[in-house]
Amino acid sequence: MRFWLAALFLLIATVAYGQSQWPLRDLGVTWSRGAAKVSFSAKDLADERVRQELSSGLRKRLVVTVGAHLKGSNWRMAVRQFGCDVTRDLWEDGYLVRIGDQSARLKTLEQVLNRCLVVDGLFVGDPGGYERQKGKDFYFAVRAEFNPISKKQCSELIRPTSGDDPVGPISVNIVRRRICRAERAIEFRSELLKVPE
Amino acid sequence: MSRFERKILFAIGLSVFLALGGSIFLAQGALRDVYAVGVNERFGAELIHGVEARRGQLMALREGSDQVADAVSLAVEAQLEKRRHASSLQPLLRDLLERYEVVHGIRVLDDEERELASVTREPDPLGATMRTTTRDREAGKGARKVRIAVEVAVPEVYFERLQEAGEVADVYSRLQRQSASVSDVYAWVFGVLVFLVIVVAFLIGAIVSRRVTRRVTVLAEASRKVGAGDLTVSLPTGARDEVAELTKAFNDMVRDLRDSRTRIEYLQRISAWQDFARRLAHEIKNPLTPIQLAAQEMDETYGGQDDAYRKKLEHARAIIEEEVATLRRLVGEFSAFAKLPRADLSPSDLCELIQSIEDSIPAILEDVGGGTAAPVEVRVSCATEPIRVRMDPMMLKRGVDNILRNAIQAANEAKPSGGGRVQVRAYASEGSGFIEVRDNGPGIAQENWDRVFDPYYTTKAEGTGLGLAIVKKVVLEHGGEVRLDRAPEGGARFGIELPLMESR
Repeated sequence: MRFWLAALFLLIATVAYGQSQWPLRDLGVTWSRGAAKVSFSAKDLADERVRQELSSGLRKRLVVTVGAHLKGSNWRMAVRQFGCDVTRDLWEDGYLVRIGDQSARLKTLEQVLNRCLVVDGLFVGDPGGYERQKGKDFYFAVRAEFNPISKKQCSELIRPTSGDDPVGPISVNIVRRRICRAERAIEFRSELLKVPE
Repeated sequence: MSRFERKILFAIGLSVFLALGGSIFLAQGALRDVYAVGVNERFGAELIHGVEARRGQLMALREGSDQVADAVSLAVEAQLEKRRHASSLQPLLRDLLERYEVVHGIRVLDDEERELASVTREPDPLGATMRTTTRDREAGKGARKVRIAVEVAVPEVYFERLQEAGEVADVYSRLQRQSASVSDVYAWVFGVLVFLVIVVAFLIGAIVSRRVTRRVTVLAEASRKVGAGDLTVSLPTGARDEVAELTKAFNDMVRDLRDSRTRIEYLQRISAWQDFARRLAHEIKNPLTPIQLAAQEMDETYGGQDDAYRKKLEHARAIIEEEVATLRRLVGEFSAFAKLPRADLSPSDLCELIQSIEDSIPAILEDVGGGTAAPVEVRVSCATEPIRVRMDPMMLKRGVDNILRNAIQAANEAKPSGGGRVQVRAYASEGSGFIEVRDNGPGIAQENWDRVFDPYYTTKAEGTGLGLAIVKKVVLEHGGEVRLDRAPEGGARFGIELPLMESR
């Protein structure tokens, strides 16, 4: 029992340390009604290959996850995630962008990237979450991903065989994590901030 | 944990780890091969080609729709040049709608966006969902300039199929990129599960082997006790396996050792008694003759006239001569016991021995009866088949004669007026030959059963206590055993057991 607790602690500490080593980037942070609003650009996710893929006519996905983490801890005070399904329309010129339940038709790829990877005044978390951590140091960690396969879709695409052996289900779960991860991802973090008193 | 246990566990661990570790190694190779067969570059390339083909199909449809829009535009322009009235356009548009399947509607508008003519294809209620778009064209010049809006449509399913093909190709290319790691994941998961199986198998093996090794350890401990001289050790045999066989053999060995030791001890004791008897006979025998001669001389050389004294002398001489005679008989028996030879064994038939014993019965009866045959019925029987044993017939006959004489005496004393019965029989059973002598006399008290074979132990007034000791010595020298218990008739039953020749 003591061994497993130590192993768990080590794992958390390793993840926390790894995250704290992400590259720094200037994030615009403002406070509104006790909650943080962040602004940043993750357009550098879209390298040449990503741009080609987005123009292929096949549906691609851009996902941005922003988390607020206390200093020295892996615990997330708040998290916000949004994703765009981008499809270049082969029948007409332009791009179909779907964000949640809303769709938009944009003419150029730049417009798509600005819509999906440039964040301006995005609320991350609610005031209550910050209220409890007043005065503490924290930072925002941003992860932008190109074309991760959603869990649901991944489960539909990669299924274990219907045998009774335990090898299939366990292996498939691990394989799913590898196969369905993003084709490209960038990660960065903000400078240390302080939750306002 | 004993060294033996460690060796057993090492053997189990080695066999389990080698077998299952080998299977992991082989499975890893097999998984890589299987994965490489299922996920290979050719399939991936074909899937990408399929996606490209669907994309090309859509692009071709788009180009085709553009060309159709151009054709419609040209036809409208030609019609307007030929017949300047706009009403002439309506039949043309219907004709064009019928001619081009991709067209779903045509509108002709003047430069002020007023509709001059239009046609629309009736929607098919059972038809597929369509994706539509409008291709705008301009025709005419100056005041006759018109805008022609051609609505073209393609089934939505074309786009859906492209997306589906794209997703499959995407996942496949990911599987292809991860081919090494995916098969490694399977191998690792398989390996971990196999390792767990190994651990469980090892634990089960350890538990099972411990049951065996514990029994072997107990056997070793028992062997040490036997080595230290404790021959009372007996182990439970338990399960039917080789260790149980070994335990049974061990128990048999200890029992044989115990019997041999008892036999040797008895023979050593008898030997000591024989030595004692020889010295006693020698020491007593020598003065007997001078004593007897001195008594005779005292009686014969008395020259006095005292009759009373003479009578005393004669009485004393008679007593001395009688006691000397008794001592001579005892010395004779001691001497005979001391000179008892070792049995000289040779193959013989027990039934022949019984026959010779039967021949001597009348003499024994007469001896016991004091000149007349004692009124005791003696029955002798033997198996029809020869009972082959290795024996010294003379020595064994002497022993059986002793037992038979005792039995006749006991039966005669219990029933002096007749009714005494003695039975002598020989038979073979379970690898041994048996001689049984039983009577209907008073029997021997159970507390004396062990002592009757000791030298000089007797319950008879005139006995020397050597007869049954001689019997036991003779039987032991034959590798057999002699036992005493109660006969069904109520008297004593002596049983002599000798190993059959075939069983050796």
